Formats: sequence, C-alpha cells, structure tokens
Amino acid sequence: MIKVLIVDDDEIFRAMLLAMMRREGYEVSAVDNGREALQRVEQDPPDLVITDILMPEIDGIELIMELAKLDARIPIIAVSGGRRTISLEFNLESAKLLGVRATLPKPFTRESLRKAIAEALDQDQKDTP
Amino acid sequence: MNDTRTPKSPPDLIRRYAELLQGAVFAEDPLAAETALADAADLGRRLVANEIPLEEVGELHHEALVRLAHAHPDLPLGQIADLITAPLMEAHMAYSLAFREQLERRAEAIVNARLEQSRRLEAIGTLAAGIAHDFNNILGAILGFSELLGDELPAESEGHGYLNHIQQASFRAKDLIAGMLTFAREVEDDPIPIDAVPLVQETLKLLRVSLAADIRLDFAPAAREAWILAEPSQIQQIVMNLCINAADAVDAHRGRIQVDVRLIKPEDSLPMVRLTVEDDGEGMSEEVRERVFDPFFTTKAPGKGSGLGLSVVHGLVAKLRGRIVIASAPGRGTCFTIDLPQTQREGTPLSEPHSIRETPPKQRDTFE
Ligand SMILES: Nc1ncnc2c1ncn2[C@@H]1O[C@H](COP(=O)(O)OP(=O)(O)O)[C@@H](O)[C@H]1O
Ligand SMILES: [Mg+2]
Repeated sequence: MIKVLIVDDDEIFRAMLLAMMRREGYEVSAVDNGREALQRVEQDPPDLVITDILMPEIDGIELIMELAKLDARIPIIAVSGGRRTISLEFNLESAKLLGVRATLPKPFTRESLRKAIAEALDQDQKDTP
Repeated sequence: MNDTRTPKSPPDLIRRYAELLQGAVFAEDPLAAETALADAADLGRRLVANEIPLEEVGELHHEALVRLAHAHPDLPLGQIADLITAPLMEAHMAYSLAFREQLERRAEAIVNARLEQSRRLEAIGTLAAGIAHDFNNILGAILGFSELLGDELPAESEGHGYLNHIQQASFRAKDLIAGMLTFAREVEDDPIPIDAVPLVQETLKLLRVSLAADIRLDFAPAAREAWILAEPSQIQQIVMNLCINAADAVDAHRGRIQVDVRLIKPEDSLPMVRLTVEDDGEGMSEEVRERVFDPFFTTKAPGKGSGLGLSVVHGLVAKLRGRIVIASAPGRGTCFTIDLPQTQREGTPLSEPHSIRETPPKQRDTFE
C-alpha cells in the first residue's frame, strides 16, 4: 500500500484529509508540525508527503527544503490556505520553485486532490491501490 | 498699499496694535519699553493664531499708524517711525516664529494622518490575510467531509441534494474570502514605472518633520534617476517603515540616518536599484535579527510597536521581486539594503523578470 504522511497544524482540516486519504485507499498517518514530520520520515519514509505551508516551528517551506536534502526523493504535494502578509499564490509558487510535484490551494475538492496525487506520484505508481 | 481695500482683521486687533505702538512711542522708562516689546511679540503670535496673512499685517500697521498720527498731530511722523521700529520688528519676529511652528504642526498632522492611514490599511490587509488562512482551513474541512458524507448516502437521496448545497455555499464563501483579499490589495495603486529618487526624496521630506530635531536624516542619492516598476505607495511604505525603525533605534542619542538610492549591476542578476537605510542606533542582536520579519514581532513597548512594519516591508519586497539584506551590530547600528529590479523609463523591463525569492539572502553580521 502507498504510504502517505500528512503534515498540517489545523486539526479539523488534518482530520478531514486523513479520512479522505484513507477512503482513497492509502496507508495514512498525520502529524501537526514540520519537526515531527522529519522524525517520522526518518523512522518510516513515506511514498508521498502532503504538507501545509504555514505552520509553527518548522514551516512547510523549511520542511520541503529539508526533505529535498534526503537521498530518497520523496514526492511532495504542498497545500496552502494563505499566510499573513504573503499571499497563498506566493506560498505555492515558492513551493514549486523548491521542487514540489504538485500544489493545491485550500479549500479543494476530492477531484483536484486526486489529480494532484496523480501528478505527484511517478507514472508507474499512478494507479491507486 | 491699496487703500480702497479694508483690512479683514478684527477691529480690536487694530485697536490693540495702535495702543501698543502708542505705548512704545511714549514709553517713559525702560520697563514700559520692555512691556511694549513683549506686547508686540504677543500680538504677533495672536495674529498668526487668528490666521491673519502677512500682507494684512502690513495693512494693520498702516491703519494703526494713521490712528496714532491723528491722536497726536503735534508729533513729527519721522519721530513716530523711529520709535516704533523695535516693537514692529518684535511683532514681526514673533509672527514668523509662530507661523513656522504652525506650519510644522500642520505638516506633522499630515504625516501622522498618513501614517495612521497606512497603519490601518496594513492592519486591514493583515487581518484579511489572517482570516483567509483560517477560513480556508475551515472551508476545506466542510467541503472535504461533505464529500465523504456523500459516499455514505444513496446516490438519488435527498441528502445528496443537501450536500450539494453545502458544497456550493462553501465555494461561495471561498470566493468571498478571495474577494476580501483582492479588496485589501486594491487599496494600492497600479504598478507603473516610477523614478525612486524623487519619490524617496518626497517621502523623506514628510518624515523629517515628524522626527526629533536632533536626528539627522541625510539623503544624497548616488543615482540621478532610478526607475522601478512599482506602486508609489509601496515604495513610500518601505521607506517610511525603515526610517521610522531607524529613528526609533537612534532615539536616545543624536543619531544619524543615511538613505541612499543607487544603481547596481550584480553578476548573478539583472541591473537593480539599491535602496539603503543606514542608522547608527542601537543595532540588533542575532536573536532579534532573525525574527524581525515575523508579523507581530516587536521589541518595543506596547502601543509603540505593532511588529508589522518589517513584515510588510518583506512582503512588499517579495512582491516587487526584490531582495532584502540586513547588516547590524549591537551598539553600532543597522543597515537595510533592498535591491529591486531596475526598469526602463518607459516601463519595459530590462529583460525577463527574476525568479521569486522568499527567503532573504544570507544575512551578515558586520558592516562592509
Ligand atoms: N533599524 C533598526 N535598528 C534596530 N532594531 C531594529 C531596526 N529596525 C527594526 N528593528 C527591530 O525589529 C523589530 C521589528 O520591527 P518592525 O517589524 O518594524 O516592528 P515594530 O517597529 O513595530 O517593532 C523592532 O521592534 C526592533 O527590535
Ligand atoms: Mg516598525
């Protein structure tokens, strides 16, 4: 089964994404900050990371940069609902420049989530389990 | 002087002026003469307070002189003229002094009103952005859970119809938030090619009146012209925020703030316009410097700092595709360097726009 790690500090949104991804048939775990995400990745590397951008401590941009340093190039989907003083588009644009495979502005539909996952995972892994 | 024009000054002022001149002319001892001078100064200030323009002060003077001559036909005019020189000058000096003060107060009021306005706009924008972030999370959860709930319901059920409505309502709320953000942005003008040199000059002129008199604010731009693609209010806000911070940093001592605009051609990028704001104030520790761009981060007393100034500057610089570097040493001062892509006078960019950078380039500890 494809292992997915969700990183988002917003509790209710995280719960939703967790439920939705489980329903889609993935093996999903979720954490609420970038620091924990890095620990989790080290212990048990996932096949896909879906991360929020604005989070306390280590934010999504930092997390993406840290993940990029790892040998296992884990595909990343960046999601964002915007940020104080900096726009949502800008956040996602920055994430793209850092090499994330797909971006999603919050709120999104299940349909656009599926598309983003397909984009993020390699062609040969595209079929959902 | 035009005699057909009657002065608009209140009659009691004319009377007081005549009395005053009379007092000066007939002063019998030094104390009386001093009193007359003090009265003259007082009158000068009152003229300003009554908003009587300078040319009318002349008329007032004429009027009072005529009255004096009428009252004392025996006194030679030459002698009267001699005797009133001193009180006249006193009144005039007090008048100009008070007038200058009034001007300064007005300029200060204008600056304060503008600052207040830009703070309010800043606050609205920040509020909108903050709300947008939370709302989008909430909407995301509503939308997502309603889609999941849809899976549980029979396809043709009434419940499905209700869920559709929930989803439509969520998307409407999303559009509303997007609109609010656009509104927050719309209060700004459109980006046009602007010459940063006169714009910075203008902004500093406004700032200068609100700064303490013992703070030196120097602007001797190395560039004659420096064209960038921006909204004038963005540049004004950047300069204002940096200079207000610099002024706060030098507060205690007679500090100096130096602002410069120059053109540079970095090896790794296109021609840039470099704006620097340097102060010899208290400087920053490493810990402070790392956090200055965080919204609401401030080391200032409550009510003095909002902690938004530099986060706004950072946001604006990012939007203008520029970069920002801080050099600071505790006790020695701080220098903010901002590079913005140069444009041609007509507004055609020199080439393709730069890639976006969110994080500022490596910060340095020391001055170059
Ligand atoms: N020129 C400067 N010299 C020293 N410290 C500065 C300077 N500019 C900014 N700072 C520091 O950065 C903090 C944040 O600045 P800012 O975002 O403008 O918020 P505020 O001015 O409202 O505190 C200030 O409180 C101050 O500690
Ligand atoms: Mg400030």
